[in-house]
Amino acid sequence: MKNPLKKRVPRELKGEWHKYVTVFVFLTLIIGFISGMYVANHSMLVSNAEGKTKYNLEDGHFRVKSELSEEMRKAIEAGEQADVRAYYRDKAIAEATDKAVEEIEKSLKDNGLEPEGPTADLYKENYDKALEEAKAKIEEEVDKELDKELEGKLPDPADPVPVTIYENYYKEVSEVWEGGGDTRGDVRVFKAQDKVNGYCIHKGEAPKSADEIAIDRMHADNAGIKVGDTIKVGGTQFKVCALIAFVNYSTLYKKNTDTMFDAITFDVALVTEEGFDRIDNDIYYNYAWFYKNAPADDKEEKKLSEAFVNVIGTQAIVYENEAKEFVPGYINHAVTFAPDDFGKDKAMGGVILDILVVVLAFIFAMTISNTITKEASVIGTLRASGYTRGELLVHYMTVPVCVTLAAAILGNILGYTLFKEVVIAMYYNSYSLPTYKTIMNFEALWKTTLIPVALMFVINLIIIARKLTLSPLKFLRHDLKRSKRKKAIRLPKWKFMTRFKTRVLMQNFPNYLTLLLGVCFVMIMMAMAVGMPSTLKYYQEHVGEMMFVKEQVVLKSTEDADGNEITTAVKGAERFSMYSLLYRAKKMDESIAVYGIEPDSKYMKIPADMAENEVVISDAFSGKYGFKAGDTITLWEEYENKSYDFKVRDVVSYSGAIAVFMHNDSFNEVFDYDEGSFMGYLSQSPIDDIDEKYILTTIGEKDITKMADQLDHSMGSFMLYFQYLCIILSVVLIYLLTKIIIEKNENAISMTKILGYNNREINSLYILPTLFVMIIEEVIGIFVGYLIMLVVWKSYMAKLGGWFEFNMGIKEFVRMFVMIFVAYIIVMLIDTRRIKKVPMDEALKNVE
Amino acid sequence: MSEEERKFLQIVNLKKGFGSGDSRQEVLKGMNFEVAKGEFCVLLGPSGSGKSTLLNIIGGIDNPDSGYISINGDKLEEMDEKTLTQYRRKHLGYVFQLYNLIPNLNVKENVEVGAYLSDNPLDIDELLHTLGLYEHRHKLPNQLSGGQQQRTSIGRAIVKNPDILLCDEPTGALDYNTSKEILKLIEDVNKKYGNTIIMVTHNDTIKLMADHVIKLRDGVVRHNIVNETKVSAVDLDW
Repeated sequence: MKNPLKKRVPRELKGEWHKYVTVFVFLTLIIGFISGMYVANHSMLVSNAEGKTKYNLEDGHFRVKSELSEEMRKAIEAGEQADVRAYYRDKAIAEATDKAVEEIEKSLKDNGLEPEGPTADLYKENYDKALEEAKAKIEEEVDKELDKELEGKLPDPADPVPVTIYENYYKEVSEVWEGGGDTRGDVRVFKAQDKVNGYCIHKGEAPKSADEIAIDRMHADNAGIKVGDTIKVGGTQFKVCALIAFVNYSTLYKKNTDTMFDAITFDVALVTEEGFDRIDNDIYYNYAWFYKNAPADDKEEKKLSEAFVNVIGTQAIVYENEAKEFVPGYINHAVTFAPDDFGKDKAMGGVILDILVVVLAFIFAMTISNTITKEASVIGTLRASGYTRGELLVHYMTVPVCVTLAAAILGNILGYTLFKEVVIAMYYNSYSLPTYKTIMNFEALWKTTLIPVALMFVINLIIIARKLTLSPLKFLRHDLKRSKRKKAIRLPKWKFMTRFKTRVLMQNFPNYLTLLLGVCFVMIMMAMAVGMPSTLKYYQEHVGEMMFVKEQVVLKSTEDADGNEITTAVKGAERFSMYSLLYRAKKMDESIAVYGIEPDSKYMKIPADMAENEVVISDAFSGKYGFKAGDTITLWEEYENKSYDFKVRDVVSYSGAIAVFMHNDSFNEVFDYDEGSFMGYLSQSPIDDIDEKYILTTIGEKDITKMADQLDHSMGSFMLYFQYLCIILSVVLIYLLTKIIIEKNENAISMTKILGYNNREINSLYILPTLFVMIIEEVIGIFVGYLIMLVVWKSYMAKLGGWFEFNMGIKEFVRMFVMIFVAYIIVMLIDTRRIKKVPMDEALKNVE
Repeated sequence: MSEEERKFLQIVNLKKGFGSGDSRQEVLKGMNFEVAKGEFCVLLGPSGSGKSTLLNIIGGIDNPDSGYISINGDKLEEMDEKTLTQYRRKHLGYVFQLYNLIPNLNVKENVEVGAYLSDNPLDIDELLHTLGLYEHRHKLPNQLSGGQQQRTSIGRAIVKNPDILLCDEPTGALDYNTSKEILKLIEDVNKKYGNTIIMVTHNDTIKLMADHVIKLRDGVVRHNIVNETKVSAVDLDW
């Protein structure tokens, strides 16, 4: 015979349909979204991984100042470090020998000896002897000098790292498009080749003629450029023939050390060889490499790349070239950021789902606990009649587990269909990804089905089983309290109604505690949903105040083609220098801008009496890494094993970038530039009188806010959805918990009605205490949410380059409060109706 | 009747108290009696005499401080929690003053709740006819009168054909006529199915329909009477 208690399950579901439908819908949506995220993530990751082979993704790339000579190329491909010491030694000896020869010749001539004529033999004899002596001395001196100079600066010997390298040349120029208004972007135009770093065409066809260009799909979306449009690339017109996604630019990072990717003002593009020649600008000699012995994992890849950087560095020295950039694949943000982000989203989504299920499981367990209290007599009778604890446990757990299971199944169906598309659209809105196909994902299935059901099962099992351990007699006597309070708490001589309300408040303390947990959880999410956009907005709006100067123009060279110094007539423009070093932080290498400033600069006031190794640092630097005046900071060259120690003289108010300022003279001394050298101009008004071809880069407001702009673009709308989600979650939580409070008091409410209390008085007894508690819990929740977000933000920023502080104003706190309060008001209206519907005969009925 | 059947239920020197220190109250102060198999036994006494406590201990839902109960030779004190549950499941039926029916199961289903526990339950439809509930079998408890609800609860208790039916003031919440109906029903059940019935009541008249009357006062057995002249429930009057 089937257990007849099973027949109660559908009736329980029907009788309490509003409660179960609320939980079911909410769980379905959450599970659906997270499942969609897992499926989208997985499909994207698979297509991304397949794309690496399909489109020949490089193992890394390096850029040098001049095109590689055949010998240098062979040397690099062999993967062996050049003997830098021998190079310097030979060079120094050759230079010194030339000088010595001159001196010997002069000395011999001064002594009347000539290389020709009668003294020729004597001349030769003396010359050879002197030269031999000089050479021995030179060698000895050069060796001694090199020992001193190169001590600790030469890379450790390493096994060869044989590679294959391919040209992946590009030109980097401005991009102007119709409808772009004042916005102009930078575009990195690659020359078509078929060996490395291919691309996926989203729309259109690859460029065939010299005036056609294929541009990045993501950037085109952001800029509103379509296939068939005409854009100006470095002043030359091109017709957009395709929207593409390069395999090595799934995230549009201009520089690997950039704070944030920028798909709004940065673009990557492809043109034919003839098209490439049409662009009037310098070629960036970029080379992609593949290891001949492919590394097995990231660890091995790191080891190989650490050896290979020394190959490039040393070969560049001996072949008198210059290494400009070195980016191994595993740290190339343009390649790794998107898949890493998928992973983080997945982890984050999983955690949010688990926490939500735990909170809902607690609420379910409390609801059932309440039902058990109500049905104590029945349970006592059943237990007395021989029903086991296990049978009752299974009975009471069936509904929550069934509801969760049903929500998980429907959620997964929606995840694979509807929500997957939503998540994919979100990713396509941030990243330049190849096309994908949906792939079945078992991880999604177990993480969004088995884990929620298991969590619901375990939490309910623990709470309900504990409740059912009471003896049948205790159930029959309705004696369900484990600890007996010796004395009732006495209340002060307040008004009767106040005491009544206080009693209601005390009676429901455990429910309010659960509500507090839920409110805190919602407020943490809310602090993120409200705080992040507000931080970005604050940063965007106050960037003017955060910058020490409106425009920084960095020149390629300070001399024009005729050798004249490049100057500007713009009023107030002053010279400056800039150098990029690394700060090696625990979680990442942070790129630091080192400025050389004129001593009497109008834009950056730094103490006049600073020593050569003294610097002032921006408060963004101080804020992120905690440096203060008196500290010493060590900064490293990007591609060399060379470091600089600077003493922090002061912290200046500049939160636009992580930067270090020093006098320009000290700058030239420290970085070995000629006295009086500079690299560009600082100005409050635009510098428009320097030919673009001499300008390396211009840093303005847009460059400083691009991190905020991109974050806003990628996450802004997502955060708005998140706010709505928080409100819905609050409604669900508050609704379920206040339902328990009212159900618990149905008898009392009914009795107060019989006694003649009106609805207003009853509401004040059973709704006002919750209102009061809700206000307090909201304030606590906001505080907790804010504090936790401060910690989360700091750790989030530690993984990104750059720094800006988490910023929430009074307006945002009020907004958080109001949004959750609105959720409560909605529930309060439902509760008022619920109280009104409690029948008067409730109190007169039998306990069943 | 064999010796075993005569000593079907043995209560030996049973003691039970509540509370501690000054507030400790001894409810059962050494109680001894025996009930034969198939007997209709009434435990009679005023409030606080310990009759419900005694019934709960017999039912295995409460424990004595000392002494023991044996049923058919099995001592309850030697049973662990699991065995006790099995014992209740197989051998006992319970009827309470308040019917404790499951509100969202109908009459038939409430009876099935009892039947589910037995390997050899009575025929439910036949039992519903016996209980006079057949026409009401699809009604929910809140659609029934008090008497009908109590009949349902008796049906739930006896459908598994228990060896012992424990009734705790089964008519306590009912009016005169309905009470008599219920008593008649219990009498019929006893006759028809031969279950041992132990009924707790404070209604002195009910003793007249019992085979065996135990009168309790202050936690001890005051009178242990075998009723040779029992009358039918229909003839009772109070």
